[in-house]
Amino acid sequence: MFVVIIGCGRLGSRLAIEASKGGMNVVVVDKNKRAFDLLTAEFSGFQVVGDASNQEVLRSAKISDADIVAAVTDNDNVNLMVAQAAKHLFGVGKVLARVTDPLKAEIYAQLGLKVLCPATVAADAIGAEMLK
Amino acid sequence: MRYREYIRRKYLTIVGHVGTLLLGVALFLLLSLAALIQFPEELPHAPWFVVPALITAVIGAVFRLAGRSAGKMTLSLADGGIIVLLSWTLAMVLSALPFFLSGLLNYRNALFESVSGWTTTGLSVLNVETTPNIFLLWRSLMQFGGGAGLAIVMLSAIVGPHARGLYQAEGRTEQLLPNVKHSANVIIRIYVCYTALGAILYVVGGMSLFDAVNHSLCALSTGGFSTRVASIGYYDSPFVEVTTVVLMFLGATNFATHYVLLHGNHRAFFRNGEVRLAATLAIFFIPVILVAVALPLYSVEKALRVSLFEPVSALTTTGYTTVSYADWSDFGIACLLVLMLIGGGICSTAGGIKQYRVFLLLKSLAWEAKRYISPATAVHEHYIWRGESKFYVDSDHLKESGAYFFLYLCTYAIGVLILLACGYSLRDSLFEFASALGTVGLSVGITAPNAPALMLWTEMAGMFLGRLEFFVIIYSLISAARDIGSSLTSA
Repeated sequence: MFVVIIGCGRLGSRLAIEASKGGMNVVVVDKNKRAFDLLTAEFSGFQVVGDASNQEVLRSAKISDADIVAAVTDNDNVNLMVAQAAKHLFGVGKVLARVTDPLKAEIYAQLGLKVLCPATVAADAIGAEMLK
Repeated sequence: MRYREYIRRKYLTIVGHVGTLLLGVALFLLLSLAALIQFPEELPHAPWFVVPALITAVIGAVFRLAGRSAGKMTLSLADGGIIVLLSWTLAMVLSALPFFLSGLLNYRNALFESVSGWTTTGLSVLNVETTPNIFLLWRSLMQFGGGAGLAIVMLSAIVGPHARGLYQAEGRTEQLLPNVKHSANVIIRIYVCYTALGAILYVVGGMSLFDAVNHSLCALSTGGFSTRVASIGYYDSPFVEVTTVVLMFLGATNFATHYVLLHGNHRAFFRNGEVRLAATLAIFFIPVILVAVALPLYSVEKALRVSLFEPVSALTTTGYTTVSYADWSDFGIACLLVLMLIGGGICSTAGGIKQYRVFLLLKSLAWEAKRYISPATAVHEHYIWRGESKFYVDSDHLKESGAYFFLYLCTYAIGVLILLACGYSLRDSLFEFASALGTVGLSVGITAPNAPALMLWTEMAGMFLGRLEFFVIIYSLISAARDIGSSLTSA
């Protein structure tokens, strides 16, 4: 299983560590080299420094070989663009995109992308906890 | 108090991992019993392997149980270094047991043989003519295991969350795939396939099956133990020599480069700095040795063979020979010396300073010159090709290589001085210690069972430092000492 993760913030780094521990091949992309400091020794994948909205950067991360692409930067527009490129240009089977704004999530979902909104996910979890 | 608890748990985890590695060593010890299939008459020697295997397995199991009590913990790169250091030391001591228990060698020589085996050096204090075959197979197996790296062998079988620390601590800086476990797996697969191929070629070349297996195990691991006194020279066959040259080159090539090549990416292969450096060195040194050394000594055909075989054996830090160096000129010895110091590729089974570092430092000279003649405001991007992609070199990376180079030469100088103090000539000391430190195994004949104890210990230290690349040992010792210190003061 080969996973490409775009964005190595708090969410991306955690995702990368978990996937790496789970025995997957992982490549993380971030435009800021310092972002990789969040990765612990448990992460054993590759790091690519570069702007993911540039297709060359995506290519150097071998995105066309990926089984899963997770676009989880803090920029909704970048996530959407990368997700679309991954799905339509590089033919990746499973593409996940993070969207911060729940209103945008609707629109993105209509484009046929698997969209996850942290705010909605957290609201659901907290709501479930309250009703328990 | 909390800090002490943390350190206690950390070391229990470390011990647990060492235990797992030792269980693997026990398995390796039992593997040498395979020699009994072909030589059933050597059954009386079996206990010398079964008993050490049991001892190793018991220690390993106890360590593992101790480690389990620590629970889950994340280890850093430095902790990986301690694991590697501890398990290599224990593996070497325990692997000396068969030689010692059987009374074949005294404890010092047994340890020497074991260190020489695991570090893939190939210097030997054993008389291979009178040694039972089962011990010869054990020596070859040690080199095979040492070549791949103890941790790599284990990593491909088990995956721990601390995998990357182990991987890098054993001197692997390049990964083949974006996951350590998969990288280790691919390394082992490439390694085993080449070994099998080598054994088949040797059999075709006229070797007995036992000799073929042994030589293939030791050639690919760039170890250089032979089952014959005259080493590869015994067979006096061009086919065997060419096979060995190919195997040695394969063993000394970076596994990441193999991976690129096996995937059919020829451009990336020829762009690689190490490949270029190795090719340049071969193109330069083979004719030089042919003209200056070999032609005056041997017949034309023999000279051609010798001048192909010996430089490759030195550069790849294997240590197989086809001739004695006693009648070689000082110039010829010096040529081999330079090649031994440079050594093989990084992330390969070879030793030495490593072609990568030499290439990088040579390249930095060119960069420096370019910077000097460029305008003051010019911006340069310094990169080299690594695997399939460009690697941008920053000054920290260069500094590290420079420091390694310096440390290597310092250690070399100290070792040579000690050998000189033991009473050997400058020529012999320079050659023999370069051979030990670079884990080569070529010898001018002064490494012998009755050599002074000081010299054998010095060579053992050289081999150990050379295989584990200094820094791991130094950093781990420092960090272990600090942990001990702080746990004492916080008591």
